[in-house]
This record gives sequence, structure tokens and C-alpha cells, in this order.
Amino acid sequence: MSGSSNGFVDQTLDNGLRIVIEPMSTVQSAAAGFLVRTGARDETPELAGVSHFLEHMCFKGTAKRDWHQITIEFDEMGSTYNAYTSKERTFYFGWVRTEDLQRQMELLGDMMRSVIPPQEFETEKKVILEEIAMSADQMDSCIYDLIHERLYAGHSLAWPVLGTTETISALGRDQLFEYFEGRYHPANMVLIVAGAVDPEATLKMAERFCGAWKPKAPRPRRIEPPTITPAVHVRIADRFQQQALAIAYPAPSATHPDREDADVFAAILGGHNSRFFWKIIQAGLAPYVAAGRLDYCDAAIMIAFGFCEPDKAEALLEGMKQELSRATRDGVTRDEVQRVKNRTRTALTTEAEAPYYRLMQLVHDIDVLGGPRNVEERLAAVEAVTPDSILAYLKRWPIAGPGSLTSMGPRNWPDGSPFVL
Amino acid sequence: MSEEESYLHRRLDCGIELATLPLAGRRTTAYEIRVVAGLADEPDDLGGLARLVEQTIAKGTEKRSAQALSDAFDSLGAKIGSGVGRESQVYRCSCLPEYVDEALALHAEMLRTPTFPEEFCRVAVDLAQQELTALEDEPGELSRKLLAPNAYGRRLGRHELGSRESLARINREHLVAFWREHFTPAKMQVSIAGAIDAEAVGGLLERLFADFGGPRLACSNGHSAEFMPGQNHHQKALEQEHILICWPGTTITDRDYPVERLAVSALGEGMSSRLFVEVREKRGLVYWVGAWDEHPRKTGRIFLGASTTPARCDQTYGALLGEVDRLGKDLSQQELDRARVGIIAKMQTHGDITRARVAELCSDLFHYGRPVPLAEKRDLLLAVTIPDVQRYLNEHPRDKLCVQTLGPTMLEGRPT
Repeated sequence: MSGSSNGFVDQTLDNGLRIVIEPMSTVQSAAAGFLVRTGARDETPELAGVSHFLEHMCFKGTAKRDWHQITIEFDEMGSTYNAYTSKERTFYFGWVRTEDLQRQMELLGDMMRSVIPPQEFETEKKVILEEIAMSADQMDSCIYDLIHERLYAGHSLAWPVLGTTETISALGRDQLFEYFEGRYHPANMVLIVAGAVDPEATLKMAERFCGAWKPKAPRPRRIEPPTITPAVHVRIADRFQQQALAIAYPAPSATHPDREDADVFAAILGGHNSRFFWKIIQAGLAPYVAAGRLDYCDAAIMIAFGFCEPDKAEALLEGMKQELSRATRDGVTRDEVQRVKNRTRTALTTEAEAPYYRLMQLVHDIDVLGGPRNVEERLAAVEAVTPDSILAYLKRWPIAGPGSLTSMGPRNWPDGSPFVL
Repeated sequence: MSEEESYLHRRLDCGIELATLPLAGRRTTAYEIRVVAGLADEPDDLGGLARLVEQTIAKGTEKRSAQALSDAFDSLGAKIGSGVGRESQVYRCSCLPEYVDEALALHAEMLRTPTFPEEFCRVAVDLAQQELTALEDEPGELSRKLLAPNAYGRRLGRHELGSRESLARINREHLVAFWREHFTPAKMQVSIAGAIDAEAVGGLLERLFADFGGPRLACSNGHSAEFMPGQNHHQKALEQEHILICWPGTTITDRDYPVERLAVSALGEGMSSRLFVEVREKRGLVYWVGAWDEHPRKTGRIFLGASTTPARCDQTYGALLGEVDRLGKDLSQQELDRARVGIIAKMQTHGDITRARVAELCSDLFHYGRPVPLAEKRDLLLAVTIPDVQRYLNEHPRDKLCVQTLGPTMLEGRPT
């Protein structure tokens, strides 16, 4: 067994399945999960939603268990378990008492060999169509999908994770199975474990449960999305009472070295105790406004977004523009940067208390950065950010000039003139 | 439960009720300060007042401006939050142990000497009005708001945002009056867990809250609820119909509470629960379905919830109630055991998180008036049998229901 200098065990089975383990000495529980490197951006237009559909179907039956047995076994352990699908990954996980880790790993591993049972396919399709309907009633889901649909038009990042009523209705079980066969193999997956575990015993379990999986060639490199074209995008959605606004500019991708500067800046602009909070929310312009990066392995946008009453949309937009201009002109202060660092230090220490929190961070780091980072490494990355580094960042990744503005709600606003800060 | 629990619980001379739970090996400390004054304590015509107090109490003290107070918490790296409930409001913090004294001092300053600046009070009312608009875009929360007055009665069933009319009446003087009446040490409960020195915390709180507040008021014993069965529909253009069903359960301090907890879990928690299996997995009627219990101090309510496309609304409604009826007839030992393990195991796994432990402690102090060791809760769950569940379901029948639907379609052919 080989360890790494930062406290992780990182090994690969003969079939190509990578296993990353973080032993945690002060906890009583353990969390395990399978990362599958496939998501909405890996689909074709006619298969939009297939990754998410697969996530549901992996709970529906294997050669050893039917769907009821799978759920019973999770609940017999009292596991905190679930799965999610995003633009770039699918992740299955369970958090259990340490004594149940072996059983949890075996069950999750078995699910990764799903038979995609044909008899469950049509019923699960109904469930997913209900999920799509539910999402259509949620304003945050709708604006998220609209931003991607318009800013990444023509690229697979534009397609909704859930798919559409049309694509899901048309999807056949065999298409699903073919997609599954091409993605759920060792070269495209990682097993991640964190908690009160013995790494050697955990590796043996992984070998026993996953060692017989057949190897396949790695997936081809993803196609990069095109550069975002500045534009104004409007969708009238009169079922909603509020207007949603999002200003977007290109930003460093999830792997770019500028990402820490970007995230500290976003926290100063639109996080807790931020400029947006004091200048926009506490000015009574909107009840919700924030800033953040929507990042992928090879692309990202920095967005300033908010929800407001329709007649306050102009004021909200003006408020956001003023803060973007001020940041571009004056940068940020040392105190603002230090406050973000202080909060990060506490958040990371809290994260280190729970295997579940660590698992969720590890899957991100392994998927996009290629390897795990411990709490000290993550803290060091944030500590390196300074007002000067943020000012330099804003020169490389400007939030001024022509940008993209997305508006959704009851108003057909603004008109089609270009958005320029 | 293998972690040693050494609670200390006492009422300090200053009037505060304090519970401490040192946890060995933790690198964080978390605390919650509960003020026993919530939505039910608002004057009848000033709905929304309790939350406005909770929102504006942090907007400045006699020593600091609003932003200076936020900056001071941030200088400690303290993660703070707050929320208002039916009978109380809670102020939370988690931080590194070396900063807990300063964080408590800041919270004491905030709770003792708020200035409620006129401009922030005005903005808070204005924002609450806007949040009422936002609520229309959140069908899940909106349906819960609509159900609550019938499930709990007009007082206990209030929504934290109040109404447009009640908000329009509220001014700074109302906020100050609510604060003066309710923010006294005798109505405060402090729970703290993690890397702490229990004795030192007690001494610190004595100093921070000395000579604060008017005449001592004991924490009230809770507000009585009303239950008004019936069916209500709120028409709204949505893709899905939201269905909420409620009926009376037991109180959290009743000997049957562990029985109720297990019945609810077997019904609607986990993917192998009855509702998930029968309504979602077998029939594909829903994506979201669940059962849960809620407990103000003197009452309890059982809830079922689901959302589905309008054409399947009646079928879903029937399936939800059908599973409640069936549970009383054929609950298996395996189902009961699963529900039991699920609750006990999550107490242990989630117990790794210090702030989860303090939230549990804070809840125990509020409901039971004392810390309740996890082992005691576990033993009560272990003692529950199938006949206990059957008896409980017979004694708490779902014969009178509050039903709320929200969406494009009314239920058909259901009793009102």
C-alpha cells in the first residue's frame, strides 16, 4: 500500500479503478462514494437527460438485488445516502457507522453493475417526468437552465441535467444501457472513502467488490465550449411573480490557477456580509442577490444574480452594475479579504469533523483537479489571495465592458440592446 | 453513543438556562442561544414582528454599527445564523474554540444593546413585503404557509412573514417593544458543545448577562394549538399540484413519542419507506413524497406531502392515505427495525458534527427542560414494539384531516 504526502491513500486497481481514501482519526463514522465522470455535457442532444436517468436506474436493480432490496439494505444500515448528477459528473454515496462501511461499499459497488432492469424502466420514466415538472415550477432551476441554454448555445453544457419532457419521453431502455456500458467502467470512475477507516482493509474491500470489473479504454477528451458571446437574453415566464436577473462574464475554469482569487472576490462581492448585502439587499432593492462562479473543467462564468419584484428590476440591475464598476475601479480591501479567510478557516475545520462533508469536497477535488487536497492545502490556497492578487485577477478576467445579461420573469425586459457595463 | 457524554445543566444567577456538552477531540465549538419568543408571541395584528426583530437585532448596538457588528463576527471567523419559529427564535454560532468567548460577548452585546436603527427597521419591513412576493414562487413553502393556520390554529399557525396588512402596521417602536418584553435572561436558553470548558462558559455568561432585563419571567410552557379539519385549495398556475395532509399526533414529551417517531419513519423516511415504495417506486406517481412530524411544545402534528402532475392528483391523494391505513394493519418487524436503526445510526453519524450535537441539545432543553443523553433516546426507541405502533395509530386516527392543495386542480370527491 502506498500513501501520499498529504495524508491520503491513492491507489489504482489492476483494472484501472482508482481508489482514494482519507483516514480521519477523530470521527465515529465513514462515508464512501463512486464518482462516475459523466454528466449532461457528455450527452448527445437526443439523449439529453440520460446521465440523470441512469442515476435513477442504478437504484433499480443488479444481478444480485432488485430495487426493493437495494433500498432496504441502505435503510438497514441507517445510511445517509443518495446520488446526484451534474453537468460533468454522477456521484453515488452513503454515510454510515464505521462498522457498516464494508456493507455500504459492497452495496454501492453492486449498484455500479446495474442491469438497468427493463421492467422498471417505464415506471422510473414517470418519476423523472414528475421531477422535470417540479423543476419547471422552481424559479432558481429555471434561471440556471436558461443561463446555460443561452450562454453555451450549441454546446452540450447548454442542455439541462434532467433532460426535457421530449427527450426523456423518447428515450429507450437500450439507449440507456448502451450509454451505461460506455461510461460505468473503471477508467471512468473513482471510489472515494473518508472517515474512521483502516486504509489497508478498505483497499482489500475495494479489490474484492470491484476488482473483477472489466477494464475499458478511457473516455475521449471533452469538447471545449465556445467563448461566451456578450448578449441580452430574455424569457417571459409569467407564472413567476419575480424577475430573475443574471450578469455574466467569462471566469477561470475549475482547474485554472486563478480560481481561488475568483472565489474570494465572489465572496466579497456577493457572499455573507458582502457588498451586495449592504448596498443592494439592505438598500431594500431585492430580497436576494449573490455572486459566484459556475465552473466546469474547461470553462466558467462569474455571475452576479438576484431575484426581485418586477418593478425593481432596473434598480437591482443598476445596483449590481455599480458594485461591479466599483470593484473594477478600486479593487477590494485587505479587511474584506481577511474576513473571507477567517470564515474559510472555520468552515474547513468544521468540514474536517464529518466524513460526509469531506467526501463531498473530495469528489470535487479529484474530479476537477485530479487529486485530493487536505484541509491545510485548501486553507493555504485561500491564504495566498491578497487585494493585489484580486486586482490583477480583475484585469485578467474583467467584469466590465460587454457582458451577458439574462432576465426571466413576467416582464419582457430589458429590450435587445447590448449589455455593456 | 460510544462518545462519552458529560452534560452540565443549570440556571445561572443571571437567569439564563445553560446546558454544556464538552466533546473530546473536537476542533470547533458551537452554541445556540434560544430566546423563548416566537410567532405565537406576536400581537394579533402585527404578524411578521418576531422575524423582523430577529432580522434587525443584528443591525447595530450601542457600541457598533450594523456593518461593524458583522465585521466583528467575521474577524473571529464565526459562522453565525439565526431563525424564528412558532414559539422561539434561535441565534447560532460555530467557531474555533479560541474565539468562543469573544463570539459569545458579541452575541451578548447584540441581544442586550440593540439600537434598531430606524432606516434598517424600515428596510426590513420593505424586504419582508418583497419576500411575500418571493413566496409565491416557492410552491412548497407556500403550501405549508397555507396549511398551517388550519393545522395549528390562528396563533400557533402564523407564518414568519406575516401578511402585507400586518407588515404595513409595523414600525420601529413595535420592534423595540417586542425586544423589551421578551429578551430577558429568564427567557434565554444557551446550549454549547464541542471543545469547551463548561465551568468557564458559565462564568462568562454570568458576566455578560449580569443586570440585564426586567422582572424575571419563567419560560412559558408553550401555546395551545387548535386543529381545524377541512380541505382547502389554492388555485395557482403550476406544472404540479402540491398536496399536504395533516392530523394531530402526540407531544414530544409524551411516552408515545418514540412510537410516533418510528411510525412516521416507517411511513415516509428513507427509500424503503411505505410512501416511497408504494407511491413513487411502484406507481411512479411522484418524484417528491414524504412524511414528517412537527412539535411545538404542547402539541404534535403528522404531515404527509407530495407533488404530482394535476391529472394524477386524486390518485396520489388516495395512495398517500391508503398507506397510512395499511401501516396500522401490516407493519412488519423488519420495517420497524429498519426505522429504528435509521434513527439511531443517524444520531451517531451526524453526531460527528459539533453543530448538529448542539442543535440536538438546544432542542432537548426547549422541549424536555433538560439534556437528554443519546443512549436514553436510543433505549426508548429500542423498547417500541409492533403492538405499540398499532395502538398508537388507533389512538391517533387519521379520521379528521387538514388537507391543503396548491396548483391548477382541486381534489375531486373528497370530504371537506
